[in-house]
Amino acid sequence: MPTSNTVLHRAGAVRTGDPAAADPVTTEVIRHALNSAANQMKRALVRTAFSPVIYEVLDFAVAIYDPEMRLLAQAPSLPMFMGTLNFCVEEAVRNVGGTENLFPGDMIMYNWPYGTGSHPQDLAVVNPVFLDDGELIGYTAIKGHWLDIAGKDPYCTDTIDVFQEGTIYPGVKIYKKGELNDDIHRMVIANSRVPKFVAGDLNAQVVGCRVGATAFREVVGRFGRAEFLNSVENMFDHGERVVRSYFEKIPDGRYVASGEMDSDGISDEPIPFEIAVEVKGSDVRIDFSNAPESRPGPVNCPVPSTISCARVAITMLAGYGEAPHEGHFRAIEVVTRPGTMFHPLPPAPCFLYGWPADQAIEVIYKAIAAALPEAVPAQSGGCICSVVWWGTREKTGEPWADGSPHPVGQGAWKGGDGGTMLHISESATRFSPIEVWEAKNPWLMDRLALRQDSGGPGEWRGGAGVDFFFRMTEDIYITTVVERTRNAPWGLSGGGFAVPNGAAVRFPDGRLVPVPKTTRLAVPKGAVLELATGGGGGYGDPKARPREAVLADLEAGYISEEFAREHYPQAF
Amino acid sequence: MATRIGVDIGGTFTDLVYYDEETGRTVEGKVPTVPSSPDEGVVDAVRRCVPKEVIERAEFFLHGTTVGLNALLERRGAKVGLITTAGFRDVLEIRRGDRAEMYNLFWKQPEPLVPRHLRLEVDERIRADGGVHRPLDEASVRTAVAALMAEGVDSIAVCLINAYANPAHEERVAAIVRDLGFAGSMSLSHRISGEYREYERTSTTVIDAFVRARMSGYLKRLDARLRELGFRGTSLITRSGSGSMTFGEAEDRPFETIMSGPVAGAQGASEIARMLDIEAMVTADVGGTSFDTALILGGEPQILYEGVIDNMPIQTPWVDVRSIGSGGGSIAHIDVGGLMRVGPRSAGAAPGPACYGKGGTEPAMTDAAAFLGMLGPGRLASGITLDIGRAETAIAPVAAAIGQNVEATAIGILRIAASSMANAMREVSVEQGLDPRRMVLLPFGGAGPLMATLLADELGMTRIVVPPLAGNFSAWGLLGADMVQSAARTKIMDLDDAGLAAAGDVLADLFREVAARGDHAVPETVRSGRLDLRYKGQEHWLSIDVPVAGDRFALTAAEIGAAFAEEYRRSFDAVLPGVVEIVSIRASERAPLPRRGEIAAATAAPAGAEEAFDAYSFTGKARLRFRVVPRAAIGEVLDGPAIVTESTATLYLDAGWTASAGRHGELVLQRRGA
Repeated sequence: MPTSNTVLHRAGAVRTGDPAAADPVTTEVIRHALNSAANQMKRALVRTAFSPVIYEVLDFAVAIYDPEMRLLAQAPSLPMFMGTLNFCVEEAVRNVGGTENLFPGDMIMYNWPYGTGSHPQDLAVVNPVFLDDGELIGYTAIKGHWLDIAGKDPYCTDTIDVFQEGTIYPGVKIYKKGELNDDIHRMVIANSRVPKFVAGDLNAQVVGCRVGATAFREVVGRFGRAEFLNSVENMFDHGERVVRSYFEKIPDGRYVASGEMDSDGISDEPIPFEIAVEVKGSDVRIDFSNAPESRPGPVNCPVPSTISCARVAITMLAGYGEAPHEGHFRAIEVVTRPGTMFHPLPPAPCFLYGWPADQAIEVIYKAIAAALPEAVPAQSGGCICSVVWWGTREKTGEPWADGSPHPVGQGAWKGGDGGTMLHISESATRFSPIEVWEAKNPWLMDRLALRQDSGGPGEWRGGAGVDFFFRMTEDIYITTVVERTRNAPWGLSGGGFAVPNGAAVRFPDGRLVPVPKTTRLAVPKGAVLELATGGGGGYGDPKARPREAVLADLEAGYISEEFAREHYPQAF
Repeated sequence: MATRIGVDIGGTFTDLVYYDEETGRTVEGKVPTVPSSPDEGVVDAVRRCVPKEVIERAEFFLHGTTVGLNALLERRGAKVGLITTAGFRDVLEIRRGDRAEMYNLFWKQPEPLVPRHLRLEVDERIRADGGVHRPLDEASVRTAVAALMAEGVDSIAVCLINAYANPAHEERVAAIVRDLGFAGSMSLSHRISGEYREYERTSTTVIDAFVRARMSGYLKRLDARLRELGFRGTSLITRSGSGSMTFGEAEDRPFETIMSGPVAGAQGASEIARMLDIEAMVTADVGGTSFDTALILGGEPQILYEGVIDNMPIQTPWVDVRSIGSGGGSIAHIDVGGLMRVGPRSAGAAPGPACYGKGGTEPAMTDAAAFLGMLGPGRLASGITLDIGRAETAIAPVAAAIGQNVEATAIGILRIAASSMANAMREVSVEQGLDPRRMVLLPFGGAGPLMATLLADELGMTRIVVPPLAGNFSAWGLLGADMVQSAARTKIMDLDDAGLAAAGDVLADLFREVAARGDHAVPETVRSGRLDLRYKGQEHWLSIDVPVAGDRFALTAAEIGAAFAEEYRRSFDAVLPGVVEIVSIRASERAPLPRRGEIAAATAAPAGAEEAFDAYSFTGKARLRFRVVPRAAIGEVLDGPAIVTESTATLYLDAGWTASAGRHGELVLQRRGA
């Protein structure tokens, strides 16, 4: 329940056109055209970016906003960024002095974490878009993850305030009226351990924003301002109806579920938290107000990402597979309490903001399962299992860096066994091929293999986790962020638990050191990073799994005979 | 100008076009496809449409087929065993970790073509630089092969980590497989694709192993049947990356044909572009269920080097044809939020659009066009008589749901379909840094000419070329296919004098590899080379055509660097400082078939009184009087609005457009005042 010390967040409710005056056909045509414009932005970004984090991991979001900062279209990219860019646009514009200070050709850089929802590495480029007559029609914006922005380390799990996390660009114009602001550009270059990557990726974001602006102007120009605005309102209303029609099927009630962070990166103490989902008619309220106080370590999730994880969870469930826009968010209310892990205040550290947010998505599903278990899957491995590597190449002395999330087993659901993929918060993301990695990074992979017996048993079983073993061929540094190593992924409706995530370094002398979260660990040549990602939870009573399905899993080696006899005695 | 026969198997019809050198005539035919036995359909088409003496003097039989693709889509292929490096048998199943439908919480990766118990590991390891990290343990190979033979696999695929950099272990595995007496077929990853990315290369190798036997059996059967009919020439099949290869070569490299479905159309478009000297053209192939579009620049289609079929990547050159689920059969419906959508579900061939009177009751795009009069008075060339009443009945419920009348709803259906097609065309153009307004539109396929002026108006284009035989254009495109062979290898090096010299060695090697595939039916060949280049640090590259002298590149590193910078600037409007790096080297050898003569008009002009008919005009925003004109009767300039009829397609020429006959049998449409 919102109280005096909580804040209620809703999607933009202003209206700039009359949906009733819109032609339904034109609305559909404009919806397509806007999504197509966002796709063009994405392609331009991916094809010009320098860092694998952008072009391979797709750790970015591209979107188009109207002058009220409402989401018009977003290309398939990082879901977790999907609900946050409007905050970036709002703050970036406010900080340069408001819309009266915007001119054609301006590009603003912005990365203040409490406004972006992210860590400083995630930098937004915001491009105001004007028609030829000088009218502001909205913004194209790209938030992308930069490999390094001069924090205490390229990637960290142990920051104690935001100032350790990277250089802040609080809304500065990198381009003014089309001219590069060289002073700022030199600061960008100076404030990175990998300046070439950063310069290349900034350029790619600028190119993407320009491509999007051209396409956006063309759409508005083709239909005229008035018809465009009416159609956009109609499109928003339509998206809202789509999401609401889903929630009408969920029984009214308040459903509470809990999760737990392994640690905050500073202390080793677990952090339990709970989230309530309230459904009333077609309204859905996600209540984070009972969250723990914000933590001394960097697992604090700024409000924009808290709102985003609620939006991701709900639109994945209720959006019928469509690309989201502002209308899809209207049925969703989010409640937070300032000063908590899901609403930290400056200068609380928030480098690992994504981890509580990722887990929150599945906690929201667990809450919905209390109302309607068949609506959602069991828990996945529950983490993106990130590793960041860097160092200086032995032969050339060149600095290098790379980073990647890794796939986990997915939860089973009523009607399907879980697969093996990235966590849903990074659902379009890929990890690099081994051969691409080995062609440029100083390691040799020992194995990339499904983990036997790692998926939870059930009438439908969870997906298997994966072993990624990296054998270093030069001395390097790593940072790892692997959450949910202490709690097994949950099953639903009688389905069993899966095996949780794990990460350890085996040193050449034989020592095995667990590294669920570690920062700047020196890993010598010959050591092996053993990342073993978790499986997905099972769904339904394992005793109900058909015999032939059990025997097929046994023949394939997904499960061992011992595991089969224990969980599926009916097959013997 | 050799006599040749082209047969293209589509989902619904098998299209045939032949060119007869003696008479200079191009003749078309169409028979229903026989899905259970496609070679029957082909033989039937040839027997019924081509006179025996033409079959006997034909030098080439050119074929487009989806046999390999269908085997893959329907999972009807060989039982394949896969041999991998120890620790990596799950590469095929883990994929790259992404969800093909990113907003679908319940999406799951497809079952791999090789189940886990048939994916076996051997002990060995090659490094990225080609060095041997761990030698091949031959005993582990013997164990794996024996196990696969005991399982009774039809085919063995081998894909070892970093084999692109050093194939020695794959070669040795192959030798042991044969030593042990395995008689089935074998697919080695480094022979299939010399490029890096182990998941993609494994997927390609396994696809090859999976479709090989089926393709080979089909091609052998078909060739034998053609010989029985008296054919004595060379049989060729379309490659995914354009051009054609002999049946023999296709039996050896079947994966190269998998994505060849829409290639013949793009190839025909290229030929038209060269004939008419059109620098930049975009195609619109509108069929029953899908819309395909491709860019033709400087008379060539755009080639990409990694494709995806049914969520399985395939490392092979393919013509960049974008496809969306929108066509004449696309069904209009109301979604859960109450807006009207069109497609991607299609009425298909059965039951077909409601107006065909074959049992369809849902409103298809063709129903909307028929209701609006865009298809003319209602007698289609295929013999179908349109039932406008049924079209209206089908559209009415959708109209009621959006609160509009049937006329407005039918207009809406066409506008929505046209806009999604136009978006696809806009995206392919913009990605190449091109403005569609300055390009020429080439519509074809059964419903292409119907949509032509709508699409051009949507994109602000002013010139359209409607090719001859527009409804059978893919089969026509087959007739112009040259024979092509290609090979590629990843070798990452800086683009400098030393790097280029090493790339030249690789190129020479690749030409030798291509030559060794043999089975060349035409002696004179033209060689070409490409380098995939990128700024060091980037992953995505641009493929640059580099002139070849003998078996080496004919330009200096500096000249190639400048060409890359120019291409980069054209594509991305930026030039970056920094080192340029070679990623892969590509070689191809083209054996041009003898040119054929200019296209004659398809059929003689049927005389008869000209009709007039009321139809909706999108530019006039009202029903107008349209003239109904047979295509062959168009001489100097025909002013729209008009409906132009021909044997396999109907052209809707909206008000504001003119049509005139070109020199080669094409129609040139021009927007008035442009």
